[in-house]
Amino acid sequence: MTSDPDRHPQDPRQEGTDPACDSNPVVLLVEDDGLLLMEASDTLAEAGFTVLEAPHADEALQVLESRSDVGILMTDVDMPLGSMNGFALARLVSRRWPRIPVLVVSGMGSPGPHDMPPGARFIPKPYAPSALVRTLHDTVRRAA
Amino acid sequence: MVAPDTDAEHDSRMETARQRAIREETARLRALLRDARTPARRVPAAGGFPGSTAEWEARLATAEELNARLRASEAFTARLLAASRDTIQVLALDGTVQWLSEGDRAALETPDGAVIGTAWAASWPEPGDRTAAEVALAAARAGRTGRFRAPSGRRGGLRWWDVVVSPIQGPDGGPERLLAVARDVTDAHRAEEQQALLMQEMAHRVKNTLALVQAIAAQTLRSASSLDGAMASFNGRLMALSDAHDVLIRGAWAAADLAAVVEGAMAPHVDAVAGRFTAAGPAVSLGPRSVLTLSLMLHELATNAAKYGALSSPAGRVAVAWELAGTDDPVLHLRWQETGGPAVAPPAREGFGSRLIARSLVHSFGGSVSLSFPPEGVVMELEAPLAAMQDGTA
Repeated sequence: MTSDPDRHPQDPRQEGTDPACDSNPVVLLVEDDGLLLMEASDTLAEAGFTVLEAPHADEALQVLESRSDVGILMTDVDMPLGSMNGFALARLVSRRWPRIPVLVVSGMGSPGPHDMPPGARFIPKPYAPSALVRTLHDTVRRAA
Repeated sequence: MVAPDTDAEHDSRMETARQRAIREETARLRALLRDARTPARRVPAAGGFPGSTAEWEARLATAEELNARLRASEAFTARLLAASRDTIQVLALDGTVQWLSEGDRAALETPDGAVIGTAWAASWPEPGDRTAAEVALAAARAGRTGRFRAPSGRRGGLRWWDVVVSPIQGPDGGPERLLAVARDVTDAHRAEEQQALLMQEMAHRVKNTLALVQAIAAQTLRSASSLDGAMASFNGRLMALSDAHDVLIRGAWAAADLAAVVEGAMAPHVDAVAGRFTAAGPAVSLGPRSVLTLSLMLHELATNAAKYGALSSPAGRVAVAWELAGTDDPVLHLRWQETGGPAVAPPAREGFGSRLIARSLVHSFGGSVSLSFPPEGVVMELEAPLAAMQDGTA
């Protein structure tokens, strides 16, 4: 298992890898519900991803500023603790880190016309774990 | 294509024609009377005068009576329009306002003079609604009925109007003018908006709940040693989630008291022996997300206590106590303490319950939690900012 979900997101042990060459792509998983995060993290780890976790957008940005190996961002939308929701985070990440593809997941229905950044993908909750894994692999492959 | 006349339209045209005939007859008789009273212009009966004086006096009386009936009819029509709660406007075929009903005068914030002669369609504030008004006018000009719903700021704030524009037919059957009737549907419109919002909110909650159930099922199967065990664990967790929903529904899904959450989570696990379980603490209101998380955590602790801990022996006790610390940014401290049960040993591996307890609260609410296994009984201590536990939807 490549995931270490209890490790702090800024753990320096995972720095310095090139996501394009990494056989275990690094996913930054932003989800405010501990149980949903636990399950998504386990699913992705079993599928061969290295998972970093953040409970809200602000902590996700700290992770992105401190690490260069994040290969994809997967974010929930409604996250009360942070200063912005998942759509705003997705748009910000697309502007500041254009090489990092973005996947948005939410139970709030389809996104509005200006919610998603160009090229980002959306999966409604609940999702089939296999569909999530397939989408993430496709996204990483296209970005490489 | 013009639709065939309805009976009402036919009657209306006949009435209009009858009133015009009465007016013309009255005018003709008045002219005759004027001529008859003027000696220089009096002509002999043989020269064309229509009968004797008595005869035309009688005809005049008949005309006056008809005229009185006409005035009464017009007065009734005016009272009818004044009684309507709708705002009614008569428009020229080009869409300019020619006449306003009493209801419209009362509702408008501008005097009549500022409205008469203006373009009716331009009075709608939103460009899309002005287009809808023009389309309705075009339909009415073509002999059909145009209809749209639009907001307009009038006295008392923004109101929503259901607007019907229909042709007023002339003697030839074609549209002579247009009738615009606007009915205030603000209350119905707001009720529809509220219903749509509730449906959206419900869909969101159902999706989130399904995602939660999916995660519980997957996590249960991941950590289960047998299918029967997984089934029992999953059912217990699903019931805990259901009980938490009951607590939330009692609080209109906005908030729930911590004591009710603890009681709801513990009820399936505590038997009737008095004093076996105690809960103590001040009134604390929690948000939906923390209610669901805390309920699942307490369920895991109670299940573990019933299998291996204090609730597995008659002498065992469980005490849940909480308090709020600080005033500006209060922090919730909650302690689960088991006593009197069999000697406790730390679990060999971290199961779903331990992971949930260790990670959910920290992750979701920025708090901290410690779960320890001293021989005298399991202890869980958690603390979390109250604001975070009161925030958010689920």
